[in-house]
Amino acid sequence: MLPLFTVILSFVGALAVGLTPPERLRTIRWTALITALLGLITAAFATLQYHIADGGYQSVVSLPWVTSLGIQFKSGVDGISLSLLLLTGLIAFCGVLFSWDIEHRANEFFAFFLALIGGVYGVFLSLDLVMLFVFYEIAIVPKYFLIAIWGSTRREYAAMKLVIYSFTSSSLIFFSLLALYFGAGLNTFDLTRLTTEAHYSQTFQIVVFPIVFIGFAVLAGMWPFHTWAPTGHVAAPTAASMLLAGVVMKLGAYGCLRVAIGLLPLGAQHWAQWIAVIAVINILYGALIALVQSDFKFVIGYSSVSHMGFVLLGLATLNTTGLNGAVLQMFSHGVIGALLFALVGGSIYRRTHTRQLADFDRLIDRMPTIAWLFIVAGLASMGMPGFSGFVAELHVLIGAWQQPLFSVWILVVAGLGIIVTFAYTLIKIHEAFFRRSATANDPAHPLPEKYPPLTCPETVALVVLIAAALGVGLYPKPLIELINSGLAPLVAALATGAVTP
Amino acid sequence: MNYSILLTALLPELFVVLSLFAALGVDYGLLRHHPLPTRSRIAASIACIGLVVGIAVIIGQMLWFAPRSLGQDQIVLTSLTLGAKALLFGLATIVCILSADQAPNTHVSEYYALILLSTLGAGFLVCTENLLLIFVALELVSLSLYALTAFNKSSRASAEAGLKYFTFGAVSSAFLLFGLSYFYGVVQTLNLHDATLAITSLEAIPPLLRVAILLILVGLGFKVAMAPFHFWVPDVYQSAPTPVAAWIASGSKVAGFFVLIKILQPVAITSSTKAIWMGGVALGAALSLLIGNLGALRQSNLKRLLAYSAVGHAGYMLIGVLSGTVEGMAAVLFYVSIYALANLGAFGVINLVSDRNGLTADIQDIAGCWKRSPLLALLTAVFFLSLAGIPPLAGFIGKFYLFFSAIEAQPTIAKWYEGAYWLVGLALIMSAVSLYYYLRVLKVSFVNDPVDTPAPIRVTNAEWICLGLLALLVLIGGMFPDPIIHFIRCSLAG
Repeated sequence: MLPLFTVILSFVGALAVGLTPPERLRTIRWTALITALLGLITAAFATLQYHIADGGYQSVVSLPWVTSLGIQFKSGVDGISLSLLLLTGLIAFCGVLFSWDIEHRANEFFAFFLALIGGVYGVFLSLDLVMLFVFYEIAIVPKYFLIAIWGSTRREYAAMKLVIYSFTSSSLIFFSLLALYFGAGLNTFDLTRLTTEAHYSQTFQIVVFPIVFIGFAVLAGMWPFHTWAPTGHVAAPTAASMLLAGVVMKLGAYGCLRVAIGLLPLGAQHWAQWIAVIAVINILYGALIALVQSDFKFVIGYSSVSHMGFVLLGLATLNTTGLNGAVLQMFSHGVIGALLFALVGGSIYRRTHTRQLADFDRLIDRMPTIAWLFIVAGLASMGMPGFSGFVAELHVLIGAWQQPLFSVWILVVAGLGIIVTFAYTLIKIHEAFFRRSATANDPAHPLPEKYPPLTCPETVALVVLIAAALGVGLYPKPLIELINSGLAPLVAALATGAVTP
Repeated sequence: MNYSILLTALLPELFVVLSLFAALGVDYGLLRHHPLPTRSRIAASIACIGLVVGIAVIIGQMLWFAPRSLGQDQIVLTSLTLGAKALLFGLATIVCILSADQAPNTHVSEYYALILLSTLGAGFLVCTENLLLIFVALELVSLSLYALTAFNKSSRASAEAGLKYFTFGAVSSAFLLFGLSYFYGVVQTLNLHDATLAITSLEAIPPLLRVAILLILVGLGFKVAMAPFHFWVPDVYQSAPTPVAAWIASGSKVAGFFVLIKILQPVAITSSTKAIWMGGVALGAALSLLIGNLGALRQSNLKRLLAYSAVGHAGYMLIGVLSGTVEGMAAVLFYVSIYALANLGAFGVINLVSDRNGLTADIQDIAGCWKRSPLLALLTAVFFLSLAGIPPLAGFIGKFYLFFSAIEAQPTIAKWYEGAYWLVGLALIMSAVSLYYYLRVLKVSFVNDPVDTPAPIRVTNAEWICLGLLALLVLIGGMFPDPIIHFIRCSLAG
């Protein structure tokens, strides 16, 4: 029951904030912050309560909902969902802190924000396919309004693009839900029962797997359906891009893991190589495009696409190490992606009012703290040992080595991707912080010697995020054990259903 | 026939007829020289009282009377038909309340009389299983609606739409009557129940039956706005007074799908008779989905947009009709009820932001609604998102149930093009398309600022209650659909 409070709290908080008059800014902010914090605390307690040794789904709540259609309200947590719940709580808390200065329609902003968070929690908790889908769709509409009302660059275009991509991909999921239901013939959408009792034929799995997988993977930023991600991230207000990169893309990856791979292991084995190919295209393509961006936020947007490639590669390995790496990378990119968007879209943009790298004039002198924080975050994103990204990518790559189905070229391209990641990170750090600007030295509007220092909410959020990335990087064992306990049944199913190619 | 039984059975209709005469009589007898708004409000109140008393009587009948049929199924009163009738009366009540504050012209009481007449027709339509009575009731609905469409006498567009509706409608009625007469020729009975028996006992399918079904489909296709017989829809929705358009889009749609299902039931039993109409309906569904949803993309008039979306929604429902199973029928009835509620709400909002201020329902009329009336903006979001099928609103469960039943009807397929899979796939893609135009309305309402100095939005208390009730029903229908689905399913199964 405890984990379910994350969902309830978020929706109640959204309602409360939405009904507060917009002038009462302090009440609105503090209500939102406390709601987000309570969500995080609930997730943490749920994690502590979970018995790793027992494994499986715990704290299961099962209620009849639409019994005439085989739908029930069933929620529960395992190691995978718990780690993502923690991530969601973390990002929600920091997102509220980074929206502290929002004054335009603040009540609506935080209402949409918390509703989105509630939807995301709901997806991670659902143990019924339709319930999962319902929460997945509930998360779509707030995204639109967050971007369209409070966004920047081409916000209406970007918001509509994101929503159309999400909704089209979710119609694929809808379709495959029906196929999974009638294919199993168990008259239930219960995920646990379908996992254990439905014996889908190999042909069925091979046909349906790509539909489910692509349906979810669009939201995970899979090439060539990734184009919503950079435009959406760039147009979104800071907190929303933190959420988009931090957790919304993980919804897609989670669906791929839980529904596509979990229910259709034979299909996964059949298509694994192709997913790996697309994953390394994601890694390399995202990195290359990031290299040539001139808008700082677009750099981060494409780096997200690149990093999600590692998640997909990890999923494609279908072995314990690789899948563990995928989930770790979800967590790690969630934290680091949110951190980068917070710095670029929030802290830096708020002070410079531009995101064009060409207009940045040696920011290391003008905002040293922020610059150093970004350098730390950039190194973390690059996969520097000591940060979570390193642990995650290492697991993914080892997992890929262990998978005999993969050609060696997959690893070569992934390696190339890592090198390009180094390149764009270092080059963009140079361009942003250490380069003299050729265009910005307008004597009429001299740049300030020093920009205002970090505000208190900003500092708290940034410290929390960096601490999370460092903590997992330095001592990943608890998180890895948690994730492994969730992966164990999945890997067992993959092993028993194994077919030789 | 025992007249006292007939009287108790038709008591709700009797109250509606009484209120019809009362509205006319009071208006012309007592209120001739009163100002127009007073006359409109009083006539609307009388009509509403009649309808609400009617609903109360229907609920009483549902609670205390066993299902009964009178005069060889001329009037069939089961929990399903009574429920549908109550829904229709309820929709009509809301339409009357929405019209109360603005009279289309000086003949206010006739306006309400016509709405009551069409409600009576729709009520008979859902209650009868007699072919002749179906036709008569359908004509009662249609003729009242033709007149109502053209009711705004000072507007050329309204007159043109009325004429268009009448011409198309009259032709379609002719098709329907022609089809029904051939159908009678094959089955030799006017009673749908006996017709079912007659058709199942047929050894071979006579060609006459094919012609009959085809003509009936064409005739009813007009009424339910199925493409390619949808040409009247955009003009009529756009130019009719908004409450009338709301009534056409909700009440007459419910009645239309009810009667379509009823007429197809005798030929939905065996697969050989199913084969006659399945191809046609599948084609109609696909065309409606495509034309409706793609057509709505470029509309900048809200009522026209809803008109194209109505064609699209007819496409979704035809998928349920196509399955031909009890489950499919139940899904269609659930969907059409939910759709009617959300659609009526959407038209109600348009009525408030446009018609009340003398505007023509351009999409910009709703601009900055979040600033002008946050509550109305919220209600708009509920109605339009339900139409788009976003959970947790009822539109989602409606769509889910439709597609669920369509695939359930034929879960295993031998060839890829068989079964409802491709239609369900098309419908899902089109519902993604539909989100674009629904969100465009919400964008203008939530994101844009009001255009220069907008007229304030005046909403009476009664209208708030109506819209709030509709939104609540849409929300409850989405969150707790089980009792409703269970009710429809059980009463369909008998």
